[in-house]
Amino acid sequence: MKNIYKFVVVLILMALVVGCTAPAPAPEPEPAKTEEPAPPAEDKPTEEVTEAPATEAPKEPIIIGSIQDLTGTASEAGKANAWGAEYAVKVINEQGGINGRMLEIITLDCKNDLNEGINAYRKLVDEEKVSAIIGPPLSNPASGWVDLSEEDEMPIVGHFMDEVVTTNPETGEVYPYMFLVEPGCASQSDAMAKYALEDLKLTKFATLYNTGNAFAKAHAVPFMDYVREHGGEVVAEETFTWADTDYSAQALKIANAAPEAVFLSDYVVQATTAYDALRDAGFEGVILGANTLSLPFANLVKNPVHDVYFLQNYDMLNKDQPCYDLHQAYMEAQKSEYPKANTAFGWDAVHVLVDAMKKAADPTNGPEVRGLLEKTTELPICHGNITIDPATHRPNNLGMFIADYDENNQIRILKYVLP
Amino acid sequence: MVLQLIINGISLGAVYTLIAVGFAIVFTILRFSNFAHGGMISACAFIGYFFQRYVKPTPPFALTVIFTAVCGIILALAIDFFAYQRIRINKSPSIYYFLVSLTVAILIEQILIVFFGTNMYGYPAVFETQTMQIGSFRIKTMNLVILAVSLSLLFALMILLNKTKIGLAIRAVAIDPNTSRLMGINSNVVITTVFAIAGLLAGVSGVFIGMQYSVYPSLGPTMMLKGFIASVVGGMGSLGGAIIAALFLGLIEIISTYFLGATTTTIIMFAIMLGFLFIRPQGISGKFAEDKV
Repeated sequence: MKNIYKFVVVLILMALVVGCTAPAPAPEPEPAKTEEPAPPAEDKPTEEVTEAPATEAPKEPIIIGSIQDLTGTASEAGKANAWGAEYAVKVINEQGGINGRMLEIITLDCKNDLNEGINAYRKLVDEEKVSAIIGPPLSNPASGWVDLSEEDEMPIVGHFMDEVVTTNPETGEVYPYMFLVEPGCASQSDAMAKYALEDLKLTKFATLYNTGNAFAKAHAVPFMDYVREHGGEVVAEETFTWADTDYSAQALKIANAAPEAVFLSDYVVQATTAYDALRDAGFEGVILGANTLSLPFANLVKNPVHDVYFLQNYDMLNKDQPCYDLHQAYMEAQKSEYPKANTAFGWDAVHVLVDAMKKAADPTNGPEVRGLLEKTTELPICHGNITIDPATHRPNNLGMFIADYDENNQIRILKYVLP
Repeated sequence: MVLQLIINGISLGAVYTLIAVGFAIVFTILRFSNFAHGGMISACAFIGYFFQRYVKPTPPFALTVIFTAVCGIILALAIDFFAYQRIRINKSPSIYYFLVSLTVAILIEQILIVFFGTNMYGYPAVFETQTMQIGSFRIKTMNLVILAVSLSLLFALMILLNKTKIGLAIRAVAIDPNTSRLMGINSNVVITTVFAIAGLLAGVSGVFIGMQYSVYPSLGPTMMLKGFIASVVGGMGSLGGAIIAALFLGLIEIISTYFLGATTTTIIMFAIMLGFLFIRPQGISGKFAEDKV
């Protein structure tokens, strides 16, 4: 009996020893080092040979996040943005992914809100362990990630146009992990002002914008600065607030100042009200606008659309343009009557990020990817061949299309203007 | 110039009038600020839009207004049944009405967002000419229609309240609900009638405001702010006061925006409301409801 006890004790001890020395369960996936060759099979102990060779093991996917406004005030744009980013990931994976590793994208809603944006960011970084984030076309939620992205070494690529999201407005220093892949607000406004002064030969301007809307203000102020610096005159600068629903007083004042053109830079809700107020007040001159005057603007205004010129990032219905198929795919998938620029925003942001990841020894290494994003040069995307300026983290070579509406209220591209 | 501003101010005031009266009539009886009215306006704006847009053959504009008004009545009665009736039965404090009205307003807005997103919808143009030129003055056609409809509706409402038995009952319940009950007035019928009137006004407001601007889920709540100020300035619970105050606010807003700018105007509007609350809490009408929330 004693021997049996001894035998059992020895067995338990052996089991404990074996248990302690046996390989531990696989830990959280280490960042894959794709450049390092896998150890040859013969180096492994014979008892482990039954496992598949390391070179044939499926590689860990690379997870990226996408934070978009899916239910907030700009969800019309945010949903298209999310669709474009997810579609880009699908296409990239079909083409082999990033050096053989598949890409996964997790999309969260920021509701065009700073705090919601921070919550979504924390979830993606802390829980989902993403390697990089595709940002929204909104500066408000993105502004909350400026410091966080630096702390977490998390590259964020997006269309947050307000320059204060990529560079410090006081010092001019670049925020190291924030990257904008379209021209900033000031560049876009400069392009429109340049077109108005040089092509339309206009000299007297007015603006009507919401002082509480950073997007609108970031367009309107540079527009006026450009006009004044280049010989034009701003005869009226009228504003409204979020609480206002009627702009007839401002419109009347503008009409009395008799400008040749009025620049509108708000979201489509306010832009349509502003347009109708101006026409109702008797202003029949030119209306210039940000890219928010694209469709459905012409379908929403009550007055006939005429002499409306606005910015466009893409020539979306031109078969010769690189992303024509993308826009067609979106319209088909979403049963949309017209294309949306935001589809290409999401697509472009993913492609700029993936280009840097493909060049990285470790595509999940934030600092390495950040450094490579800074070196993005002449990369073909929907918007054109993008080069990112390391000093601003914004493109330094992209222009904007100027468009108007034809007699059927369809968008007509007129010219490509470099600011 | 000043006359043009006055025309624009009265036009804007007419829009506020429709909202303020719908808001004030519920306060008259139940002594609470029915913020759900803003949600009802948004919902009715959507109902009117889809009716006008998708019913074939395209219905005449007047039919759209009537249909939406009926839907507004049904919606208001449903809200009363599901949200307020239990509070009445339990004789809960007024603060419960206030909280429920806020909740219903948010609920309606969120339901609209779920079904329609935050996208904007534009009513098809109803009038061939958007503005009428009279001498050197320009008047928006829609504003003229809104003004005419507002005045007609309010006139009808005044007759209903002052010349009919149900109007007498509404006024009696407004003054003293307990005594009215003792006198044989069925307060439930009165309250249901009041919600029906508020729903009708929300329906009409929804169509006109949706046509004037665009249709989106936060349309009603956005407009409610001015309606609320008008009902405070007019004297909470006073229909006549609300009408005068709404027109007055429209005028002040237009004139102040023209001469002082939009940012200053917002301050002025709230300063007027605070001024009335401090100096003359009973408002323009001189009627004061003590239980206001």
